[in-house]
Amino acid sequence: MNKAGAPSGGGAGNGPTASAAAAAAQKQRSLLQRLDNDISNIVDSFSVLVSVSRVNEPPVRNSQEAFLMEIRASKLVQSGDSLLKLVSELKQTAIFSGFASLNENVDRRIQAFDQEAETTDKLLERIGEEAATSLKELESHYYSSVSRNFVHE
Amino acid sequence: MEVERNKRMRIDVDKLPMKRLLAIDEIGNEQFPPEKSNEEQRLSAIHRIDFSLVVEKEKEKEKEKEEKDKVLSKSKDGQQQQQPWQGLMENLRQAQHELSVILDLISTVEANDSVAVAMMQRPKLLPNEALADFAVSAATKVQRLRHLGKYFKQCSKTMELQVSKEARFYGSLIRLQQNWKVKRQRMGISEGFTFDLFDSRSLSGADSTVMTRPSPMSTIIIDQDPSGMLAIQLPQKSCRTLCLKFLGDDDSACRIKNNTSEKKASSSGSDIAQQPSVKEALSDEDVSGSIGTTHSILRDIHRSLFEEKVFEMVNREAFNNQSSQGINVTGMRQDFLQLVIGQDSSLCLSLVLSEPERENKGKDGSYNEDGSESGSSSALAPILLPADDKNPTRSFSKLALSSKLVPGLQIYLLSIVHQEALSRAKEGHSSCGSLLAHFCMTVAHRVFSNKVLSILENLVSRVSYVELVSHPTWHSRTSSWSLRLKVPEASSVFDGGYQKPQTKRSQFLTKVVIKDGQISLRGQSSATIVASFTGDATEPHSINTYTCDLEDLPMLILHQVASQVIQWLHDEALVVGMKTSRDLLCLNVDLEQGDTLSLMARVDPDDASVCISWALVIPAVTDDAVNFSFNQTDSDNPGLKFLGSLSLESLYSALMDLANFCGNGAVC
Repeated sequence: MNKAGAPSGGGAGNGPTASAAAAAAQKQRSLLQRLDNDISNIVDSFSVLVSVSRVNEPPVRNSQEAFLMEIRASKLVQSGDSLLKLVSELKQTAIFSGFASLNENVDRRIQAFDQEAETTDKLLERIGEEAATSLKELESHYYSSVSRNFVHE
Repeated sequence: MEVERNKRMRIDVDKLPMKRLLAIDEIGNEQFPPEKSNEEQRLSAIHRIDFSLVVEKEKEKEKEKEEKDKVLSKSKDGQQQQQPWQGLMENLRQAQHELSVILDLISTVEANDSVAVAMMQRPKLLPNEALADFAVSAATKVQRLRHLGKYFKQCSKTMELQVSKEARFYGSLIRLQQNWKVKRQRMGISEGFTFDLFDSRSLSGADSTVMTRPSPMSTIIIDQDPSGMLAIQLPQKSCRTLCLKFLGDDDSACRIKNNTSEKKASSSGSDIAQQPSVKEALSDEDVSGSIGTTHSILRDIHRSLFEEKVFEMVNREAFNNQSSQGINVTGMRQDFLQLVIGQDSSLCLSLVLSEPERENKGKDGSYNEDGSESGSSSALAPILLPADDKNPTRSFSKLALSSKLVPGLQIYLLSIVHQEALSRAKEGHSSCGSLLAHFCMTVAHRVFSNKVLSILENLVSRVSYVELVSHPTWHSRTSSWSLRLKVPEASSVFDGGYQKPQTKRSQFLTKVVIKDGQISLRGQSSATIVASFTGDATEPHSINTYTCDLEDLPMLILHQVASQVIQWLHDEALVVGMKTSRDLLCLNVDLEQGDTLSLMARVDPDDASVCISWALVIPAVTDDAVNFSFNQTDSDNPGLKFLGSLSLESLYSALMDLANFCGNGAVC
């Protein structure tokens, strides 16, 4: 899957314009930033959860830590959800904005279909020839058959 | 000093203030000590108090107490149980004291008085109390962690489901995108995807500037069912297909049956509601199956759109080029077009609902017959042409032929339109003129060639020594057959004794070619039929080509065949040394003594059993050798011997028998 917003293989001069390339690079950076944020949130939340799991003497502190654990757990899950959304967004970008891969796929399909059409034409031609041959054989069999001669005798 | 009268004197002497003396310096000034604060004075006064007596008293009291306690502990066991209660009571008292302090503090604060709190010291816990607190804290924390664990499990299950749903959906979307155009639509807040089946290419050759509007069916909304599978919302407008048929033939299979699954991927809700328990059991095969079904449905819709475009193109060309290119329109209304093909056939093109749609609508009872077939509610009713029933022997089963023709013609129409669209897309211009005119001519040719074929088959069935050989031309407006007259080999006819040289040929061919309704015959004969009428003898063994009408075709073919037989007999007669001469349908054999015997062929296309019959004519005996009639019996005309239908072997035998009467050195 192409990275979101990646410029085409030919460089900025051949593919998108400079502004489009800059926008694509900016989009790429933002997505990477989001990814880094989410991952770091997950890691931080998990480490805080582990560190806060220790039992302390003052009960008040334990209640405080309990709330902290709930908050961190929610944040962890939220980061995971955000990652899922990021993945969906990347997939959508690949589907709709991966022009290089889309064009390549279209060209490949065109070639495949042309080849398929050529094969089909040859097949039809062969079928036609076989049908003609079979028709000829059938006609010769019919006209040399006993039943046809018997009818006319 | 007081001097008392009793003569006794008391002297009070003040002590010498040594500290003051010591404080006087050498000069004589008294250095007064610094002034002490009140606290220092107080403390110094306290220090001067002797507390030793009090301390001793306290010690004595404590000793007494200890002794009392020892006596009490030794004597009474019941009193020991009061100690823990006493401890508890003490703790409660302390707690009450602390609470009272706090309450005082709170009341002071509520009264807006300022309070200076120096220090609050927690009472020191006993070890068991500390452990109890710790245990409670640990249990609380464990419970919190367990709660978190459950929360994480639930979230992980949900996320797994979400991941699998999205994987299925986007995987399906990416796979379908390989063949279909996917668009993203932002409808307000929500975002959706659609399949765009619109083809902007114009199919009309003349009106290339005509912009085709996208049909409402060309945008298919993509949905997602609860299991994550990709689903499509079928368009409100039903799919229609092109229907081709000949007028009066309601049984012809005008619709090509689509070998696609009729299972819908999803509709608004009914199918989704039937799969509540499938979420977990979905495998790759299910996903692939769903993708295949979706692909089939999209293909059906795309095909329907294409056929609608084809009909629109045909309609437009029929309307614009009606008189110029030989297109005769006899009926036109919404989704219906009737064209005259040839002289006695009418072709109807219409857009009808696809079969599943018709079944569904038929079940609902809301099937609308307008635009489907040639009903009576149309504003412009189709014109019914009289059928050709003049010659029943030449008529062919229209129904039987149309049912064979129609599917092929429909496929051909779609094929040529598609080829035209492709060539226009690639090369930018149309490869041929009016498609409809070409198609009409093709249909006319097909109908006409079927008629010709039926005539030829009919003839061949009545002439035993003629075979019909088909020559597929693979051209839409050209058909070709050959009528082969196989002559027997000379050696197979004779048995023992005769040595005959082999004849040069073993067969005669007559080729029948049809091009756009024009019949051309090409064959070898002794003389052309036309020349026979004009008396112009052409070169023997020449290949002649001539055209004819459908009505004249049987007669011409029979003449051709009969003349070929005569030709063959003539060649055979020459081989054996007979003196013979031939005419178109007559072989004259010179007998001994100057007599002539004629073997004549009689052709009758209308005879149900025999087309070519033979007769022996002796012109010297007959009164009028020219004006004899085959209808005469043998008794009517003694010079005529009607032989009937003879096989080639019989004819050859008869010829050889005649050779005995030749007497010119003929080898019989």
